[in-house]
Amino acid sequence: MADMLQILILGIALGGVYALMGAGLSLVFGVMRIVNLAHPSLIMMGAYVAYWAFKLYGIDPLVILPVAMIILAVTGVLLYKLVFEREAKSATYSEMTVLLTFALAMIFEGGLATAFTNTQRVTSPEYATDAIFLGDIFIPLGQLYAGIVSLILIGGLALFLKYSRFGYAIRATTQNREAAQLLGVNVNLVGLVSFAIGLALAGAAGSLVSFVFSFFPSKHWEWIAVLMSLVVLGGMGSILGTVVAAYLLSIVAAFVGFFFGATWSTLTFFLALFVVLLVRPQGLFGEKPELA
Amino acid sequence: MAETYENADEIVAARRAYNETLAQAHDKRRVFWFPLTVVLLLLALPALQLVGNYNYLIHIVLYTLCYVTMASGWNIIGGFTGYISLGHNVFFAVGGYFAGMILARYGISTIVMAPIAGLVCAALGYLIGLITLRVRGPSFIISSLALVMIFRIFFENWHFVGGAAGVSLPTNDLSVETAKFPYYYAFLAMAVFAVWASYKIKHSKFGLGLRAISKDEIKAESAGIDTRLYKVLAFAISAFFVGMAGAVWGEYLTYIRPNIFLVILISVNMVLMCIIGGKGTIAGPVIGAVLIVAFNEFFVATLGASAINILATGMIMALTLMFFPLGLVGTLAKHRKLPRILNWD
Repeated sequence: MADMLQILILGIALGGVYALMGAGLSLVFGVMRIVNLAHPSLIMMGAYVAYWAFKLYGIDPLVILPVAMIILAVTGVLLYKLVFEREAKSATYSEMTVLLTFALAMIFEGGLATAFTNTQRVTSPEYATDAIFLGDIFIPLGQLYAGIVSLILIGGLALFLKYSRFGYAIRATTQNREAAQLLGVNVNLVGLVSFAIGLALAGAAGSLVSFVFSFFPSKHWEWIAVLMSLVVLGGMGSILGTVVAAYLLSIVAAFVGFFFGATWSTLTFFLALFVVLLVRPQGLFGEKPELA
Repeated sequence: MAETYENADEIVAARRAYNETLAQAHDKRRVFWFPLTVVLLLLALPALQLVGNYNYLIHIVLYTLCYVTMASGWNIIGGFTGYISLGHNVFFAVGGYFAGMILARYGISTIVMAPIAGLVCAALGYLIGLITLRVRGPSFIISSLALVMIFRIFFENWHFVGGAAGVSLPTNDLSVETAKFPYYYAFLAMAVFAVWASYKIKHSKFGLGLRAISKDEIKAESAGIDTRLYKVLAFAISAFFVGMAGAVWGEYLTYIRPNIFLVILISVNMVLMCIIGGKGTIAGPVIGAVLIVAFNEFFVATLGASAINILATGMIMALTLMFFPLGLVGTLAKHRKLPRILNWD
């Protein structure tokens, strides 16, 4: 029984990080209908920011997190201006942008691997290997911190979307782009800002990931499928859905890992993706079956 | 001057005859002698071995032909039907493993087994297609990516096929000069077959249906096309060609291993070749394969590192998508500047 509880806790601990990794993806999809396959490679970029800050200057990944967010947000603005703004009028927009982001993912992967090689990296602040013991059960401190920070950031995003005027415009654009435009929302600006926010979340996720997982540039392919399974299960564009799916799948994966071995725990995500596409393509909270 | 018909049968017959003309309407300006000359030259190419060591050249041409087969196969689902699959290297792997394991166990050459490996892949493609082709657009692309991950985990943990270390295959006992010949001719035959088959498919009623699906699936459905069957069949046929290429590729390399088949770069290459050459055209995948292979060789020869190769491939893909989304053949044809020798439709 203690075993089961332990696995549940480990699953929950990782769920928060996955939720943050997926939240930016979901936001960008919701507003701009872009399935950003480059998102995981941008998380990787955030992880490298944290890694070098830690390695060269000994700065804690949690301290560098805002810096990584800013760097990635600026990257987002540049990408939006250079690449996505001009694609907005393309007739095959959604397929075109998937392929484009795929190409961008390759560019970032190749760039990171050229600069930093494909060596496995991890930042190791003291808390990363520490744990709190409650009787027989332990809570890994690194994952606990990462989970808490993730929830704070996602909560902040939710408050921003719910109560700020700009968040209102973002939600309106998500629901119906044309109608929002008719009512005077500057959808282009909304797209730009939500793209930047999405990538800022990727930067934050990167800093957290840097001490939760080991990473190397080509690992982002694995993350793509993991994150896509969260976003598809949650319903594309629904941030709440992504968070729920992240906790759900992360807990299931922890149990699968316990019973069948660690190799198969990642398989949970990929199989879940298939099952969802088969049974309920719009996901748990999705309302857009035509995109599924 | 509209004709009048006496009864319903005549109308149906006339409609059917009209459909036939639609399906077979090929471009009158296309030339047949050019691809034929290319094939004849390629047939004669190994004769160079008589006058010197051209093993590298033969390897490059063979490699290109392998990709011509795969890209033409991919074009059937990705180009004609408009379902972009980034997971077609799954069939490359399954074909390679199927034929490779038979070679390792029973000593039957993969060249003999290639069509059967292709059929196995087609059957697998049919089953996978039944699941993944239920969704379209971005969701389909994502599911195809997940497919690669799933197969990679399976192959890396399946002890029967050697897990991540893979299996070594016996080499043939030909001399150094002629060792590549069987594979060369096998790939040449497959490439010609793939191009010929995609021409035949494009100019059939089936191909017309596929193109209708790529334009507007709902309208195609309401026009009486069994879209589900059509696209699943297209997926299976494209898997057939990729699987065949994979079968012989394993023996040519003399080993089968997950990390030579199930790397994302292989499926990206297929997609990129079709896009850069022109999706949905017959000559596009061929031209794309030649360009991308030449480009890759240039980069590996001058810069060496595979990381830079990934970077450069990504760059080319992004630039092509942004500035020439129709590809070389498509863009030239749109401006009516396509040279006749490249017009194979």
